Amino acid sequence: MTAPAAIAPSAQRFAIAPALVPWCALAVLTALCLLLKTELPWLVNFPKEWTLPLASYINAVADVVVAVIQPGFRALSALLDAPMRGARLALAWLPWPAVMLAVAALALKSSGERLAIFALATLAYILLAGYWPQSMNTLALVLLAVPISIVLGFLLGVLGYARPRWRPVLNGALDLMQTVPAFAYLIPLLLLFGFGPVVGLIASAIYATPPMVRNTMLGLERVPAAISEAGLMSGCTRRQQFWQVEVPTALPQLLVGFNQTTMAALSMVIVAAIIGGFEDIGWEVLSSMRKAEFGQSILSGLVIALLAILIDRLTIGFAKAPKTGPTRAMRWMTPRRLALSLAIALALAVVIRLAAPDATLLPETGLRMQMGAVNQWLLGLVRDYAWFFNGVRNAVLYCLLLPMRVGISGSATPAMWGFSLPPSALAVYVVLVLALAVLAARRLGWRAAVAVLAAGLVLYTGFLDLPWPVFILAVALLAGQVGGPRLGLFAVAGFGLILVNGLWPQLVQSLYLCTLAVLLCLLVGGALGVWAAHSERVSRLLKPICDALQTMPQFVFLIPALMFFKVGEFTALIAITLYAIVPPIRYVEHGLRHVRADVVEAVEQMGATPLQTLLQAKLPLALPVVMLGLNQTIMAALSMLAIAALVGTRDLGQAVYVALGKADAGMGLIAGLSIAFLAILADRLIQAAVARSAAASR
Amino acid sequence: MPKTINRVRNAGIGLALMFAASAPVAAADLGAKDEPIKLAMLEWTGAHVSTHIAGQLLEKLGYKVEYVTAGNFPQFSGLADGSLSASVEVWMNNVGDIYPKTLAAKQIEDIGKLDLKTREGWIYPKFMETVCPGLPDWTALNKPDCIKALSTPETAPNARFLDYPADWGSRAATILADNNMQYTAVPSGSEGALVAELEAAEAAKTPLVMMFWGPHYALAENDVGWVTMPPCKEQTNEHCITPPDVDKIVWSGFGAKWPAAYAFLKAFKMDAGEQEKMMLAVDKKGEDLDAVVKAWIDKNEAVWKPWVDGAKG
Repeated sequence: MTAPAAIAPSAQRFAIAPALVPWCALAVLTALCLLLKTELPWLVNFPKEWTLPLASYINAVADVVVAVIQPGFRALSALLDAPMRGARLALAWLPWPAVMLAVAALALKSSGERLAIFALATLAYILLAGYWPQSMNTLALVLLAVPISIVLGFLLGVLGYARPRWRPVLNGALDLMQTVPAFAYLIPLLLLFGFGPVVGLIASAIYATPPMVRNTMLGLERVPAAISEAGLMSGCTRRQQFWQVEVPTALPQLLVGFNQTTMAALSMVIVAAIIGGFEDIGWEVLSSMRKAEFGQSILSGLVIALLAILIDRLTIGFAKAPKTGPTRAMRWMTPRRLALSLAIALALAVVIRLAAPDATLLPETGLRMQMGAVNQWLLGLVRDYAWFFNGVRNAVLYCLLLPMRVGISGSATPAMWGFSLPPSALAVYVVLVLALAVLAARRLGWRAAVAVLAAGLVLYTGFLDLPWPVFILAVALLAGQVGGPRLGLFAVAGFGLILVNGLWPQLVQSLYLCTLAVLLCLLVGGALGVWAAHSERVSRLLKPICDALQTMPQFVFLIPALMFFKVGEFTALIAITLYAIVPPIRYVEHGLRHVRADVVEAVEQMGATPLQTLLQAKLPLALPVVMLGLNQTIMAALSMLAIAALVGTRDLGQAVYVALGKADAGMGLIAGLSIAFLAILADRLIQAAVARSAAASR
Repeated sequence: MPKTINRVRNAGIGLALMFAASAPVAAADLGAKDEPIKLAMLEWTGAHVSTHIAGQLLEKLGYKVEYVTAGNFPQFSGLADGSLSASVEVWMNNVGDIYPKTLAAKQIEDIGKLDLKTREGWIYPKFMETVCPGLPDWTALNKPDCIKALSTPETAPNARFLDYPADWGSRAATILADNNMQYTAVPSGSEGALVAELEAAEAAKTPLVMMFWGPHYALAENDVGWVTMPPCKEQTNEHCITPPDVDKIVWSGFGAKWPAAYAFLKAFKMDAGEQEKMMLAVDKKGEDLDAVVKAWIDKNEAVWKPWVDGAKG
């Protein structure tokens, strides 16, 4: 009753917003769908009979295609197998003292004595933990995948730079390579390349190539016109111009690409281990996960984390000179001394191998067995604090997860909340939502009002009971208005594909898990980021934690989460949140720290409290950076879906995983593409929104 | 006429074998003994033990052996094209759709049972007998108190049953439905999740009923009971849990390439009790796998001698 009356005075303002009209139509449609829900159940549950067996078509086509092209790929596989074997044998042959010497020399050259000490400590840790041979196998994989990715990425990047018309296709392909979970294409790779470590190598190369392509394009585009012209004036041929002017100028950016590519290759080690083929550190992590041995999984996971940090710092050191200039140690390590050190390392290796040809030289340590104590400690925690963990889990389940999943309408039953809502309470809810919407419309414009209404609807029906036509149209409308009609069509096509493949329930599960995880990450991570931006100590404390969360294989965190919170959605939520919380922390901190100081000072001069400064000056100014963080958070959450499947979810990640188990290439690809579609759609939406707000503020 | 043809053919095979093995004539039936036999090392310790015993005995026969780690499903791709030679402990209840495909295409060969005495069914931590009096009989699970104890927010008002990961198939859900039990089967996602839940339940004494199998080292450390299962509605794999077979699978070209190894692997068996002891020594006492296996071989010559002798002869 009150709602329409309240809207009336501002009707004039609404009438002039043509973009609002379709939303009103959608609201009518929504009301219709909700009313007809019981008569027409297909509005909520997409009927099985309507699905298309696309996956089996893909499999049928793939069978034929694979049979034709398989020999070529098998030959390639054999070709790659030789250097792979060579690298593994060479690294296994090198005795550890020689490796340590060589790496320390490189570290000294790259960024000085601190990194050298860190490198030695890392290698010593690997040795003592008893993972030396496995780590060398991992290194062999990375050493081969990186050059492949670099060369391929550079060539593609040059292509994209020289032929701008191909760039949209190229960008689309790169997006897919980075967002389709590797689990989804392991089966096709296995069919094409045959069993063995080469599959892992190819998977790593696929994932690691895009950063190099992007950085190559970026680097070449940013070559200043003045430099290019200088090259032309001095009479360069096109080839000379490219190799002697443009590439050297773009080199810093290319080296950044090199660094990112190396890190990406390393992060694929675990996925490669799922296939097997050789005993590497990823295999060790998977085995300990299988046995639910937390201690061992930390021990082996830490190897990957330390290696990642070491390789990152090493390559960054070569990519960028420090701002303060090279340190004394770096200057001392001249190229000649570096070559000499490497030669000494090699000589040392030869001498050791001549003296003891077959000795492994690896120290006997019982560290791995002593890690059993960590398990006991963990189980002790489980025993002593079971009431606490159960309480947390049940509270979150009852108050957050279930309402989001089945909505207030589904939760308010005697079985779940212990009571059912009378119609009057329902009326109060509707009035409340409408009132909020009106308030939002008055203060922030009609878009906020629509958002409030949508949130109210989702809260009422829950994600699972949302009619799919409404959902698809709403997202398409949003995409169309924010990013243009093409993005809207893209959304319709993507959701349509998911729908006809019968993956809608999994999609809804994924959406609801990821939405919750992203909201949690933004809240908690954002708060931590704000805190870190204002306190040097917190910032220093958070940094290694963030590093560890991002480089440790996620499998490691699954074990304690499982023991504390049991198989189920809550554990999946924890796992996703742990990984996706890093970007908001980093980006919020970075954004706040780099807000223009003069603006902040001006606001403070005007007598704003610290809270006002933060909320009304700093955060709005940092918004573009924060939005970038939001983008990264969504990507991270979606990429965790496939891993969270290991704790028993029912989402798209599980579909990918089940397809992997059944060697169903078609279903795996479709489910993987669905995840990629969500990621790309979210990315484009946020980019378009940022661009719009930037244009509006200009 | 047929006789002469036969003789010519035999001579041809003999010649081929002699050329194939450039080694002395006595080793002819070893086949390509200089090419390593690649044994699949699957993820669990039990399979490590079986594989290494087979490997060390093959080495006694005069072969070179290479152990290659392999995922449970990807291994069939490897076996199909010979990049893996043999896998000696394949649990037939968990072979996915890829196994029947490659078997039908005659790319792999099933060479018989490992004779590992296995068990599969519903288990519960022993303390559950006070929570649900009447266990191990399945009817005890239907008592209201028991259902209430096992109920969780996600499954309420039903009790929670922890099932195998979704990709292993869900017979438990079918059987629960067959018997009108007030339970919801929750898929666990991975073996690690099953083990973690079992250990956590034991530690915190929280009620739990789940699907499991043996021999498994987790059974050696945790005191569990096996539910006496309700009668099967139908005697099919979907409605009935029977102890899974464990078979030995080789690449289809294995027999021709390494005849003696083929004969040996056919005869090779593994005892569940012995395997469990070795698993415990490796996993919990931290002993070296090779040393444990070697100790077993030294002590049990009577067991394996016939396999090796049979293969030589």
